[in-house]
Amino acid sequence: MPLIGQLALALALLVAIYSIGANLIGLRRNSPELLLSARHALWAMCAMVTVAVAALWAGLLASDFSLEYVASYSSVTLPLPYKFAALWGGQQGSLLFWTWLLSIFTSIAIWQNRRRNPEITPWALIVLAAVAVFFLGMLNFVTRPFDLLATVPPDGSDLNPLLQNYWMAIHPPSLYTGYVSAAVPFAFACGALITRRLDDAWIRTTRRWAIFSWFFLTLGNLFGARWAYEVLGWGGYWAWDPVENAAFMPWLVMTAYLHSVMIQERKDMLKVWNLALVGMAFMLTLFGTFLTRSGVISSVHSFTQSGLGPYFLTFLIVVIVAYTALLLSRVKDLKGPAEFESYLSREAAFLFNNLMLVGIAFAVFWGTVFPVLSEAVRGVKITVGPPFFDAVNGPLALGLIFLMGVGPLIAWRRTSPEALMRTFMAPIVMGVGAGIAVFAMGLRQWYVLTALSLAAFALGSVIVEFRRGVSARRHLVHEAPARALVNLVAKNNRRYGGYIIHLGVVFAFVGIVASSFFRIEVKRSVREGQSFTIGAYELTYLGLKGIEDAHMEDLGARVEVTSGGRAVATLMPARLFYKRQQQPATRVAIRSTPLADLYVVLAGVDDQSGLATFEVFLTPLVFWLWAGGFMMAIGTVIVMWPNVRERAALAAALGRDAPVAAETPLEPQAAPGGD
Amino acid sequence: MPSKLRFVVGAGLIVLAIGYLILTAVRNTSEYYLTVSEVSARHAQLGGQMLRVAGRVKAGSISWDPATLTLAFAIVAPPNPDGSPVKAVAAAEPAQFRVVERGEPKPDMFAAGRDVIVEGRFAADGTIEARQVLTSCPSKYVPKKPK
Repeated sequence: MPLIGQLALALALLVAIYSIGANLIGLRRNSPELLLSARHALWAMCAMVTVAVAALWAGLLASDFSLEYVASYSSVTLPLPYKFAALWGGQQGSLLFWTWLLSIFTSIAIWQNRRRNPEITPWALIVLAAVAVFFLGMLNFVTRPFDLLATVPPDGSDLNPLLQNYWMAIHPPSLYTGYVSAAVPFAFACGALITRRLDDAWIRTTRRWAIFSWFFLTLGNLFGARWAYEVLGWGGYWAWDPVENAAFMPWLVMTAYLHSVMIQERKDMLKVWNLALVGMAFMLTLFGTFLTRSGVISSVHSFTQSGLGPYFLTFLIVVIVAYTALLLSRVKDLKGPAEFESYLSREAAFLFNNLMLVGIAFAVFWGTVFPVLSEAVRGVKITVGPPFFDAVNGPLALGLIFLMGVGPLIAWRRTSPEALMRTFMAPIVMGVGAGIAVFAMGLRQWYVLTALSLAAFALGSVIVEFRRGVSARRHLVHEAPARALVNLVAKNNRRYGGYIIHLGVVFAFVGIVASSFFRIEVKRSVREGQSFTIGAYELTYLGLKGIEDAHMEDLGARVEVTSGGRAVATLMPARLFYKRQQQPATRVAIRSTPLADLYVVLAGVDDQSGLATFEVFLTPLVFWLWAGGFMMAIGTVIVMWPNVRERAALAAALGRDAPVAAETPLEPQAAPGGD
Repeated sequence: MPSKLRFVVGAGLIVLAIGYLILTAVRNTSEYYLTVSEVSARHAQLGGQMLRVAGRVKAGSISWDPATLTLAFAIVAPPNPDGSPVKAVAAAEPAQFRVVERGEPKPDMFAAGRDVIVEGRFAADGTIEARQVLTSCPSKYVPKKPK
């Protein structure tokens, strides 16, 4: 098996190189046969990488400890699902997984473009193959997944216990899918630049890829946060750790890109900016991989330090320099005809939203690399922690939420202040009302008051949009309200799916603000039978219960929770001990309600005194972060749903006869239209 | 004002505001991130400052009181990567600082000989009043390359 895997990786590298050559020569000689052969070579590459992945999975499932990778990241007693997940539990495996996704996405892109974009596609495939060559080169020569051990150990050293959790099983694949699929829009952008086909064909061709990437980046970040929340036991979900930042930055830039392409599709503006964003998004995915794999920046995430750093850095610099040079050489071809007319326009709102998103990404980048920079420049390492990120991103987030309320309602091009007041009356009333209500509840922090007012404002703006659309349908098509709502979303899925994402963002934002400002925390050591209180809850420690199997020990503490004398729940936080790795871990007990999460950690048990130490958090509204995230995912699925109108636009952009649009889109009169 | 200029001004203001936010935040929140030896070299200037110190928990120095949640230990410079012990600078005693953390449970993987990052205030008497003690994963989980 290991031999097959190794061989498959070597062949994959060869066919990828062949594909680049065949494409280049085919383009020069204008030979359709060679271009076709180059495409087939990439399919062969995908097949080879799939064989390698299957071989590594086979090794993991069979507990073949002659493989160094299996011996390092698995064990006989590791539960089956985690043997699968061990594929991305270590460095070699996760790079192989990455390459596998890239080869799959490349194959899909080839199939999608078998008859379209004949000029751009070969160049896009060259770019994708070049990225694949880099990763396959790493896998063949630097960090090999199929290396064998000289002496075969009787058992492996097991997967890191922190990774033995179902969120961890799904978080890396989501994030990687998001990372890797960003390569497709990037590759087509390169193709468009090289061939000077700079109309919006490349954007429409890869729009779904960009949303697909955004969808998985969103999920990846959410799953990561949820994993931190459930597993790490510190009561929070986000610590601005470099590795979290690495996942967050591409998401921010991709969000900016998805908004600004709408301006290009509609107004033919911001072409250079869009190309820059799509390049940045891809580079940040490489940077993220570099960060997690190089050990340049210390992180609480314990990643293997390895010799990969210099290679990644070199590759990253090559990509940055080449892409920047390419973009600069085409700036003249990218002059847009239209210009901004007024601050009071949707273009302006989108532009400012873009600046804020990229600004946040830059601040996160700066805070992440600051220790390295300060050491290089001043000779002493200076770090900035969560307070830095909160101080910068807190105000910027307010700006973003404000613009999120403005964007959907404001007209394209220009609006008169009077029309503006009319349009925004309802959202403003909602925002101010929410502010007053929160003030009346006794909250005085300026940030919380502003944040909740703006959240209500943004919520109001989405509600107004839905109400308008529904009432237009009711009058024009005479539908009942519920049916009108369903049809509205179904027929304009891109636009209303987007609003559902906005709703999700508002809910998540409220959850983040409330949980950051109002979390309370009690740490206490108690004996059996003793009680302590947090908020309105009284917790009584009722004793320990231990379970042990071959894989781990599980020591749970029974905690009865009462509120006002009424029993609410019995929780069972536990301390775990993983035998192979000789490593303790914690299992948090969470009682979640829409109002607040009660989060109980058994932090330690002292054998001599019989004291059990508990760490308890009461976090208001954190439920809404996860609910909002779920809503964002639903909204994105609606946006991605195939749509006749969009297919027609794509066909038009590609210069073919558009299929007849099934239905004229219904645009309510007052609405300025758009997405 | 021509529309183009107007937008350059608007965008420029936003960029400036972001830059200002970053600058002030760096000034207000940055902390030195030092090793134990660096702390001992700069001892005099650091009194009262917030620091992050990377070092190793000295064997036999740990005291933990679960009733009051008080953890005290000594942090020392880890041995050199090649395994040889750190050579004490001539005439100077090997660098070592007392760390006290109050009101926090003992971190999961805390033990003698583990590498830790201590975040806290460096008191004038050389004690670090820790706000947070982070344990890094011990290096034995890093797979060794068989040669």
